[in-house]
Amino acid sequence: MEPILSVQNLNKYYGDQVGCKNMNMTLYPGEVVGVVGESGSGKTTFINSISGNLNPDRGKILINKDNEIINFLEISESLKRLLIRTELAFVHQNPRDGLRLDVSAGGNISERLMSIGQRNYGNIRQTIFKWLDKVEIDKSRVDDFPRTFSGGMLQRLQIAKNLVTSPKIIFMDEPTGGLDVSVQAKILDLLRKLVRELHLSVVIVSHDLAVIRLLADKIIVMKNGEAVESGLCDQVLDDPQHSYTQLLVSSVLQV
Amino acid sequence: MNNVLKFKNKKANVVAQDEIYNFAYLDENTKRMIRRALIKALCIPGYQVPFSSREMPMPYGWGTGGVQVTSSCLTTDDVLKVIDQGADDTTNAVSIRNFFKKTANIETTETTGDASIIQTRHRIPENQLNEKQILVYQVPIPEPLAFLEPRYQETKKMHALSEYGIMHVKLYEDITKNGHIETAYAYPVKTNDRYIMDPSPIPKFDNPKMNNNPAIQLFGAGREQRIYAIPPYTEVTSLDFEDYPFDPSKAPHKCSICGSNDSFLDEIITDDDGNRSFICSDTNYCNQRMKDK
Repeated sequence: MEPILSVQNLNKYYGDQVGCKNMNMTLYPGEVVGVVGESGSGKTTFINSISGNLNPDRGKILINKDNEIINFLEISESLKRLLIRTELAFVHQNPRDGLRLDVSAGGNISERLMSIGQRNYGNIRQTIFKWLDKVEIDKSRVDDFPRTFSGGMLQRLQIAKNLVTSPKIIFMDEPTGGLDVSVQAKILDLLRKLVRELHLSVVIVSHDLAVIRLLADKIIVMKNGEAVESGLCDQVLDDPQHSYTQLLVSSVLQV
Repeated sequence: MNNVLKFKNKKANVVAQDEIYNFAYLDENTKRMIRRALIKALCIPGYQVPFSSREMPMPYGWGTGGVQVTSSCLTTDDVLKVIDQGADDTTNAVSIRNFFKKTANIETTETTGDASIIQTRHRIPENQLNEKQILVYQVPIPEPLAFLEPRYQETKKMHALSEYGIMHVKLYEDITKNGHIETAYAYPVKTNDRYIMDPSPIPKFDNPKMNNNPAIQLFGAGREQRIYAIPPYTEVTSLDFEDYPFDPSKAPHKCSICGSNDSFLDEIITDDDGNRSFICSDTNYCNQRMKDK
């Protein structure tokens, strides 16, 4: 099987400061790769660089779109933005960054549909209801504004908004950050269900090892902008080799 | 020398304009700059061309953009008509007409058919325009995406890449809230199947008149410093949904003066008891119909 996304030797600097350096990653269809590390380790820089939010300084990002390999950093801006609209999706840590707060919940979900040319109100409405159902938001809330939603609902709405056009690769930056534990569990449950059901390929960034252990197949551990350890999720977390990974695993609170 | 003097005298007789001003107020370099913007705008229908808007002797919001476009298009042979919400006799229309009478000494008219340039605020005349006419719109906010995406850089990108999904989000919200598309003026259009354009705040009733119009349509936004255009016989379509098609609705009444059934109507409150009547917004159209009777 061909990887759907492969990142080779990616570098991003902020002036003299290292954002992330010599990063490599392969993501296969239906696979979830977790990126962990402490604050400031370059996780967010890495995910922003590979999702088109930031322009990396060096490296290659290859995306497999229907067996055609696209060099993401060398294509035109228009094709890049088309890919971002259709093939890729980005779930922000703060759902307010990914949603339009002065547009109703349904309007938020419909935006990607209409940007790829859907022009039938009835059909769009149907799709919105289907997705509200999938992310377990009550249908009666379809015309309410996101600002009336709770944090957990906002995050689920953001997920629906992103997944409605069936993108192939989903990037998630701390999707459960800032949510209380029971809501976190609900979102994680939902994500795990959607990943299985829709055969999604996901890159997920988190500082929470429990989140990564639950969702990810593979893991990359970052420190000071570099990957210090990577491999199968269970293997790395059960038998950490690098001293930083050992520290990270041993710092998890045992309840 | 004699010849030059003679020519000067002759010109002065023909033009006899107020000597303080250059022809049509603006200096020739400015007019040339605006004409270049106009030509570019005509080449790319619906695309907003930036131009270096000048201070005009009237406040922003009173048609400074339209006046600059008109000034750049005027020749000594032109006949000018100015309308404000369809009417020839409102303050804005009268002032702008007098402005050009004074600075360009050109002929003016209230008859749509006689005019070669028509400057308009918020209406398209009811009578069909012809190939020899130019319609100049005064535009307050030229960017149709402005209320949805406040970043100008971003809207420029969205136009360049035809990323117009968000425009339909607005219509979606309209239908969801009101059961139909509530936008009644400044109704967004797609020009020549490419650029989404704000037709200035004309009522949506006038939108179909922009489509395939034989006249040249020029749009000037003075404060925002943008010029855009629709060349003659260009396809202009109003955005809609398959199951909620565009509807150029109007008040379900007849004009109480001329009895017209198919012109755009203004609602007039006639007394303190809430009585109202409806009359044509296009005064020239209404007067002509009365004369014909």
